[in-house]
Amino acid sequence: MTDKAIVIVVDDDSAVRDSMRSLLESAGYTVRDYPSAAAFLKDPVPPGSCLVTDIRMPEMDGLELQEEIKKRGLDIPVVIMTGHGDVPLAVRAMKAGALDFVEKPFDDQAMLASVERALLIGHQERARLAEAKAAQELIARLTPRERNVLEKLVAGRSNKVAAYELGISPRTIEIHRANIMDKMRARSLSDVVRIALAADHSRAGHA
Amino acid sequence: MESDTLARALIATAVDGIIVIDAKGVVQVYNAACERLFGYALDEVVGRNVKMLMPEPYYSGHDGYLENYHLTGEKQIIGIGREVVGRRKDGTTFPMYLSVGEGQNLDRQIFVGIIHDLTDRKRAEDAIREREARLRSILETVPDAMITIDERGTVESFSLAASRLFGYGPAEIVGRNVKMLMPAPYREMHDAYLEHYRRTGERRVIGKGRIVVGLRSDGSTFPMELSVGEVDGGTRRLFTGFVRDITERQGAEQRLQELQAELLHVSRLSAMGQMTAAIAHELNQPLTAITNYVKAARRTLESRDTDAHAVQRAGEMIDKAALQTLRAGGIIRHLRDFVEKRESTRSPENLSKVVEEALALAFVGAADKNVKLKLNLDSTLPPVLIDKIQIQQVLINLIRNSIEAMLAVQTRELLLATGHGDPGFANVTVRDTGPGLPEHIASRLFQPFQTTKDKGMGIGLTICQSIVDAHGGRIWLLQDMPSGTGFRFRLPLSGNLDVAA
Repeated sequence: MTDKAIVIVVDDDSAVRDSMRSLLESAGYTVRDYPSAAAFLKDPVPPGSCLVTDIRMPEMDGLELQEEIKKRGLDIPVVIMTGHGDVPLAVRAMKAGALDFVEKPFDDQAMLASVERALLIGHQERARLAEAKAAQELIARLTPRERNVLEKLVAGRSNKVAAYELGISPRTIEIHRANIMDKMRARSLSDVVRIALAADHSRAGHA
Repeated sequence: MESDTLARALIATAVDGIIVIDAKGVVQVYNAACERLFGYALDEVVGRNVKMLMPEPYYSGHDGYLENYHLTGEKQIIGIGREVVGRRKDGTTFPMYLSVGEGQNLDRQIFVGIIHDLTDRKRAEDAIREREARLRSILETVPDAMITIDERGTVESFSLAASRLFGYGPAEIVGRNVKMLMPAPYREMHDAYLEHYRRTGERRVIGKGRIVVGLRSDGSTFPMELSVGEVDGGTRRLFTGFVRDITERQGAEQRLQELQAELLHVSRLSAMGQMTAAIAHELNQPLTAITNYVKAARRTLESRDTDAHAVQRAGEMIDKAALQTLRAGGIIRHLRDFVEKRESTRSPENLSKVVEEALALAFVGAADKNVKLKLNLDSTLPPVLIDKIQIQQVLINLIRNSIEAMLAVQTRELLLATGHGDPGFANVTVRDTGPGLPEHIASRLFQPFQTTKDKGMGIGLTICQSIVDAHGGRIWLLQDMPSGTGFRFRLPLSGNLDVAA
């Protein structure tokens, strides 16, 4: 999966950029590099890529770039390269959503492992998002009443309790439940709950 | 008759008052000076009892004195003279010196009194006494120690604060030479200083404050600020020294002093910290690139499909890595240039004074460490061309290292010496009786991050070396010391053009 994945390098030092290209290409990645955060932000983000950025740069630094990525909702995991004494800055970047930081100068293994992990997490995140999106689409097919019933089911209510709380008969609940499973292409109640939670997760993620 | 005229003239023109009385005390002669002194005219006094010129108790006692003398022949004043009090016409009194002689005139016994007015002298004496009392009260309250010496260095007064400071009672020191309060070499040189000043009037300390080292009765030394004033006592000169113990400064001034020393230290450290961060950041870039290139080259060569093209690419990466190594070297070289070309203000300085001040500063806070001091400063040295603050930094560093090292031993002696070195140079030596340096440290002494201290950074001597080097000097460890550690460095004399910056 990671073969030919795109790694983007942002660093104001051309030797660091060029050597990162050599290193990452020798490990089988495709590399794009930019001398500044602004240059990176002008281009569209290639899907399935990850970003390795220096933290100390003139104009927009790595922390600000991370914040901008979060603000724009860009779909790219970020690894920060730090120098001497930049750890507090790197920690702030991680709190802002960066996945990892690596101190310069670094061992190739450490950098490559960090990149690999970032790509993997990015991949998982995208998968989760796709799943959530699909789940939301399924839930969108339900009628408002069916959604009420779904909420009760996800909350763990029995048919009887759900019927009582919604003021309808248990029999009606059973009919709704069958329709819900049908519309959501669920084979079991646990499938229903899983899809509902996935949809919920994605909503939280976007908040 | 002629002698009679002469006698009249004498009496009339005498500056002192002259009164002649008979055996009963009746005034026979009363001269012009007396008229001025007592305010009575001649005819108001002649023929009356002389006691009218006396206040009580003399007034009532005088007839009795005369009677007693006639009876017993016991002289109380006659032929002796004494200080008594006179009474003026207006009732006021004045001090006077009265000498009385006995004689015969026309077979009758007479007494001649000569009166010298003491009013002015008394007033002057009182003024002196009052001034002395005032001065004494000031001296007893002044927190600084005060010592007065005469031209030969003999101590005339020693204030309470001085007793506390030096550990001698006034009785132990008044009358002795002040040099006993000084460690060598001041002790040996002080007489010569005074002699020099007596002869030439050239001032070295007088009127200027300076920092010197004092010696307590227990043999310990301490840094002190000395200001000397001169008192011209008319026939002889006195010197007044005010001494302030720098180690015992109370309140704001002491804190200020400590803060300044601290600040000097901190600013140096923080400058180093900033420098370190800048170097680290600058160096990290090429170092990162180097490892990246080298590791990438290795990966390229190790991959399964290594071909001629891959080998060539790996070679290029290694070349790039080598270039980055040169770049790192360039950063370091640039840094060295920066450090060496840093603005420094060099001027001709008196090395002895520079050393003494540094010594005193280095002893701040170390007065209780019981370190004996030996100074061997060559006062004949011409000035050295230095940045005084930087060289004092070197000295303070070496002295503090020594003091710290000697805490581990019983015999604590610090030797500081200056002298002529190679032509054009002065040498400074700092030597202690500490435990000496371990072999592995001694051989790598001036390299950074070597230390014998638990909390040391190991940069002190590196800084010392860079400062001395930047002055065109050199610092080295004294070899073959039987014990302890010794450093010597040389500095260019101000006439040495070879090293002029």
